[in-house]
Amino acid sequence: MLEVTLIYGFVNSVILALVALGFSLTFGISGVSNFAYGAMYVLAGYVVWILMHKLAIPFFAAAALSVVLTAGLGAALYWFVLLRVRGMVLSEVIATFGVGLAILELFRYLGFTGFEYTLPSFTDGSIMIGSTYLDYQRVWIVGVGVFLAVGLYFFTHYTKLGLAFRGIAQEEKTALSLGINSDRVAGISVAFGSGLAAVAAILILPRGTISVNEGYDVLINAMAVCIIGGLGSTPGVIVASFIIGYAQMITDTFLGPHWKMIVSLVAILLILVIKPSGLFGKQKELEERM
Amino acid sequence: MVETSQTESPQPLLRVKELSKSFGGVRAVVAVSFDLYPGELLGVIGPNGSGKTTLVNLITGLVKPDAGLVEYQGRNITGWMPYRVARLGIARTFQMVRPFAALPAFKNLIIPLFSPRVRSLSGGKYGDRDSVAKDLLEEVGFERDSSVTYKPAGSLPHGYLKRLELAKCLALRPDLIILDELFSGLSIAELAGILPIIEKLLVGGTTIIMIEHRLRELFRIANRVVVLNYGRVIAQGKPADVMEQPDVKEAYLGTE
Repeated sequence: MLEVTLIYGFVNSVILALVALGFSLTFGISGVSNFAYGAMYVLAGYVVWILMHKLAIPFFAAAALSVVLTAGLGAALYWFVLLRVRGMVLSEVIATFGVGLAILELFRYLGFTGFEYTLPSFTDGSIMIGSTYLDYQRVWIVGVGVFLAVGLYFFTHYTKLGLAFRGIAQEEKTALSLGINSDRVAGISVAFGSGLAAVAAILILPRGTISVNEGYDVLINAMAVCIIGGLGSTPGVIVASFIIGYAQMITDTFLGPHWKMIVSLVAILLILVIKPSGLFGKQKELEERM
Repeated sequence: MVETSQTESPQPLLRVKELSKSFGGVRAVVAVSFDLYPGELLGVIGPNGSGKTTLVNLITGLVKPDAGLVEYQGRNITGWMPYRVARLGIARTFQMVRPFAALPAFKNLIIPLFSPRVRSLSGGKYGDRDSVAKDLLEEVGFERDSSVTYKPAGSLPHGYLKRLELAKCLALRPDLIILDELFSGLSIAELAGILPIIEKLLVGGTTIIMIEHRLRELFRIANRVVVLNYGRVIAQGKPADVMEQPDVKEAYLGTE
């Protein structure tokens, strides 16, 4: 029992981290809270399904195409919607949430609900860890999750775009004055975050069916992880994912699966009362105001 | 020091004409005009709140003017985005230092070193940016390969942060540098270290605008000064002449 909780708790934590990375990256760079994030996630899944079943494109090609398309949609979201309300946080939230709502409910309206909307696993089969079965898809999730976290670290520390990202995140005015086009970088950050949502979707969705409601759950989970870890902090995302990941798994085991979402919401409430800037948050002004 | 007279180079590098900006009801900059010639060091002085920093923000695009014109190398750049202004070769420091706090000091310079301007100036190649960055830091007085070079910029002492601001500007290889109170908060010893760097830039042909409260040091190196008070130019000319004018005396004595 303990072994299962440990192993599946770990996988669940990596899933949360995967889901939150894109949301956190976008916010960390441009300060944009992309509330269409959950919709991007679900959309990426449906796009893969449509490409495979309507256009007969093989899975991996469809997946790659879906990541590119979702990232492109993120860029379009920035240029056509966000740019007009940039700097007005509430308007950014409302605008992105509105777009997300439209995307999700469009799929519902078009009838994309049912058990046939599934994505294939990368590889079938499973391995044994001790006396616990772990399917290969979850192994993939852990592998890619760790790879992405490490890759993002190197990206933001050693590449031109990554350094520009961090520059903009830390001091937008300085970066602007040193020749960096902050709107372009912010647009890329939203595209990048959306692309990461697509990667997460393609990895995670094969475990069940694609459903419109998952878009809302993903958004809440991503927000919970980011708020608890501290908005924009990558170490915060990792630590918070493990806290919520295991808390959810324990709740799931001892109270039942319906209570899982409550864990995220209660965790958000607790952290907002105790330490509003999050575990690794640097937004001290938030603390001072409280 | 490079003496450049108007007859030698009739084409100003920077021309500011009737530039105005209000914030709410406050007229921060009112119809400010001046020309700046290549190789010159122009001082901009005035009491606190006289509109000096706003003027810099208007020239570099961080604030859009209500009226007026900014021309650089004969091109109208009024209201351009700051990154485009920077790419033309206008670099600035900030009065309140703005380092990329989490990046090591030398990595702060990587960001300007990546700008398209630097690439085009160095023939399409960026070269080894880390070593270029360290050279630049040495140029502004960081000891070569000392530990401060690798520390997060946010943890550096004030004197180093001011030098880092300057180094970030230099990394852009600018033709015009605007220094917003670079000297403020520096000790006499630190000033003695930084003044020769500025003199060297002038010898190299860089044009400089300095906003400065430390008049003694400024007047040692400035060719001309513009005096602002309540957003208006109340005097301009050679430092010694300007300080003799009654308006200027009043503006300074009235606030101090």
